[in-house]
Amino acid sequence: MICGYAGKILRLNLATREIGSIDTGQYAAWGGGHGMGSAIFWDLCRDKAVTGFDPRNVVTIMSSPLAGTLSPASSRCEVQGIGPQGYPVEWFTWSSFGGRFAAQLKYAGWDGIVIEGRSDAPVWVNIVNDCVTFESGADLWGKDTRETQQEIWGRVTSGQFNDWYEVEAGCTTQRPAVLCIGQAGERLSRIAALIHDGANAAGQGGFGGAFGAKNLKAISVMGTGGIRVADPAALMRSWLWYRANFNYNVDAPLLESPKPNSPGFYSINSSPGGAVVLKGVEPSRPYACQACPLACHRRTSSGIGDESTCMPTMWPFYTLLSAEGSEESAGGVSDAHAKALRALKLTRARYRVADMLQRCGINAYELCIADAYLLGLFSEGVLGQDKPIPCDLPFERWGSEEFKQRLIRMIVERRGIGDDLAEGNTRASVKWGRYEEDSESGLLSYPYWGYYEHYDPRIEVEWSYGSILSSRDTNDHGLNMVLYTIPRLAREAGIEPILSAEQTVEILSQKVIPYTGDPFMFDYGQGPAGIYSGNKAKTTAWARRYTLFWKDSVGYCDLVWPSFVNANAPGMLGATPEGEPRFLDAVTGQGIGFANGMEIGRRIWNLDRAIVALQGRHRDMEVFPGYVFRQPVNRPFPFPVYENGEWRFSDNLGRTLDAGKFEEWKTLYFEFEGWDPRSGWPTRGTLEELGLTHVADTLESEGRLGRG
Amino acid sequence: MATEKKAKLPLAEAYLVADPKKCAGCIACMLACSLVHEGVTSPSLSRIQIVQTSFKPFPEDIDIHLCRQCANPVCVKACPTGALHVDTAHGNLRVIDESACDGCRKCIEACPFQPARIVWDAGRNVCVKCDLCLDTPYWDEQGGPGGKQACVDVCPMRALAVTSKVPNQKGDEGYRVNLRNEHWEWLGFMTDQTGTPEPQK
Repeated sequence: MICGYAGKILRLNLATREIGSIDTGQYAAWGGGHGMGSAIFWDLCRDKAVTGFDPRNVVTIMSSPLAGTLSPASSRCEVQGIGPQGYPVEWFTWSSFGGRFAAQLKYAGWDGIVIEGRSDAPVWVNIVNDCVTFESGADLWGKDTRETQQEIWGRVTSGQFNDWYEVEAGCTTQRPAVLCIGQAGERLSRIAALIHDGANAAGQGGFGGAFGAKNLKAISVMGTGGIRVADPAALMRSWLWYRANFNYNVDAPLLESPKPNSPGFYSINSSPGGAVVLKGVEPSRPYACQACPLACHRRTSSGIGDESTCMPTMWPFYTLLSAEGSEESAGGVSDAHAKALRALKLTRARYRVADMLQRCGINAYELCIADAYLLGLFSEGVLGQDKPIPCDLPFERWGSEEFKQRLIRMIVERRGIGDDLAEGNTRASVKWGRYEEDSESGLLSYPYWGYYEHYDPRIEVEWSYGSILSSRDTNDHGLNMVLYTIPRLAREAGIEPILSAEQTVEILSQKVIPYTGDPFMFDYGQGPAGIYSGNKAKTTAWARRYTLFWKDSVGYCDLVWPSFVNANAPGMLGATPEGEPRFLDAVTGQGIGFANGMEIGRRIWNLDRAIVALQGRHRDMEVFPGYVFRQPVNRPFPFPVYENGEWRFSDNLGRTLDAGKFEEWKTLYFEFEGWDPRSGWPTRGTLEELGLTHVADTLESEGRLGRG
Repeated sequence: MATEKKAKLPLAEAYLVADPKKCAGCIACMLACSLVHEGVTSPSLSRIQIVQTSFKPFPEDIDIHLCRQCANPVCVKACPTGALHVDTAHGNLRVIDESACDGCRKCIEACPFQPARIVWDAGRNVCVKCDLCLDTPYWDEQGGPGGKQACVDVCPMRALAVTSKVPNQKGDEGYRVNLRNEHWEWLGFMTDQTGTPEPQK
């Protein structure tokens, strides 16, 4: 087997309790992760139009060639299958999570896990190297994700921690890595997440519910093996190169935040512990996924909210401040000590809510939006006590910890409107008869397939275009980080953008192999070179191909890769496109260059497109809801535009998408990809060019092959 | 031989020390250790062990277990073959000649620390231990006293260091050092000198 891979993929049938294996080599051409998962799904899920809860749904959990090696930010684990969250169709989709699960899986000798069938009773899977067993999950059912993991840790190692634990093939001091569901997944919530360790979550997609439908409570893995590396010395040199040139030097930083304890500034200078909204109110440390030099998480002395980042912490942040803060300020906060206590109280409240989400196993993004959506409906008088949508939540305490915890409990226990919201905000809105109106007004900002907009779909179009053409919010921060987040955070931090708009697009255009040399790929204006142009076909294609190979198949995390701009590097130039293949080649020795990786990404993109075509996808379905076309942008959303002969960051206020021009753009894009512009389906010529003749044959037999 | 073992052994000239409160738990040190020594990345073959749990609060969530190059190395004395010896040609490091190791594991049993700082390589049936990167067939750098150590060099948090000063031999405390400075505190983490940072205004 090629270096970097364990060599085999575990195949589990929960219905028959069969345990088998697949030779990884059969799928090596797909790289790993997403590519392998898609190819395996294609081969093993015979009816691709089944629903997410159907026992015939095939769920894959794939590591990558870099997982478990010494490669920066490369330990992501990819989950794929039919995602129950999708609306109106439960498309074949994906999610991913960090931590150490992918690495432990490889140390145990497995590159991935394929899950088929449905167990007739709750079960968990215990993997210790080659020994794989199905264990009764009856007494774990009902436990939260933390209780489940701690219980499994004890069972696997007989409670022996902080010492060597010996099995036949070797020893380890590491706890088993457990991926599990909480009560939300058990109750078939479509917004249930898979949770690993404190807060590594595969949230989007609803795979927690898919596990629940399979009666699968958890998968535990512990490995004592190692991963053979093609060129160990080159891998060491590469890590040291990255550390010296791109990593934040915690002892002597090149660019420090202008104010102390500024978590968000990590997006600019890659400082550790930054992807949280926790203020420095208690002793803490940065915490990293395996082999990640960024270390965006934190653990604290109280243990409250440990490892949670981003949405689980931002949701309470935004609304708790108003609800709790007003109460405190009414009493007067006269000195620094009182302010510190108040900050600590608010922080802990926020993080208790985050803990509750992680323990129940809920996709925090959906809760974040549900909170605001419910308030909107309450304000309009359609939701509340004795209202058309009955709800006894205490809106006078909206934003409080109590309100949030009650809402979470209602969803987990599926009580009242909680039963509707457990289906996801989109399905709840449909059930309440609100979907059309609220999607038109933008009160419900769900532009693609039952997923929240994430960023403004009228401006950051490679994100929205890529999402509507795939199967969910792409959640791909590669371009977003440099085009939007860094300039915005610099502005919020009160410093000049570290790069001008012109410098930004110039750097990008130098790095986006194979489309280098075209800065207008990053013109987000509405002119001839802007968001409806062929330039955006290239940008969208680049983003999808990069993500599908380098990020989701090789396993890189998008908080580090692609690395376009890096404040720790001379000239601010990030490690892309040198870095990605440098590590991959040191590990595998295959010599896959950056451009070749992008071509594999194109192959994966075509396969995914073929799968959704078999599920019934047609270009006529790929339209945004009314608010995207008719509600103007009313908050500044700075993105580069080229106007009057110069580049600048425009706020883009007042922007709507033009429905007709978007349709024209789709045609242009489909032609660019070699897909049939009438249907959006891949054509035989394109598929055969990519070595996917068997895919073309299947599409043709099902009447879903593009013409041309 | 018995007389030799009773004799006081010369002190090592270099010691690995760590700041567990600065560690982010990425285990890059473990991966680098097994990589440069064995050509594979394997926590099980790492001479330094980061043991952590997601469900204990800071700082009890992470501990760093490293070979102490003990002043009184009972592992050396326990080795029946002399494979585990004091390398007087290289700073008196306590190292294992793996070709002479018979896999009896008596050194592991003798190590008074938990987890034992000597590692059992089940694939090769030999014991391995930290040599401060004196012998790294898969790395093109010179290790040992005055040289480079893979774990120190790769740590993104700069939470490991090497010193020539003999650490306090009582317990592990002598090997736990504070490597945090004002820049660490600026990030919102604590330094032991200043305690808990004030919240941001």
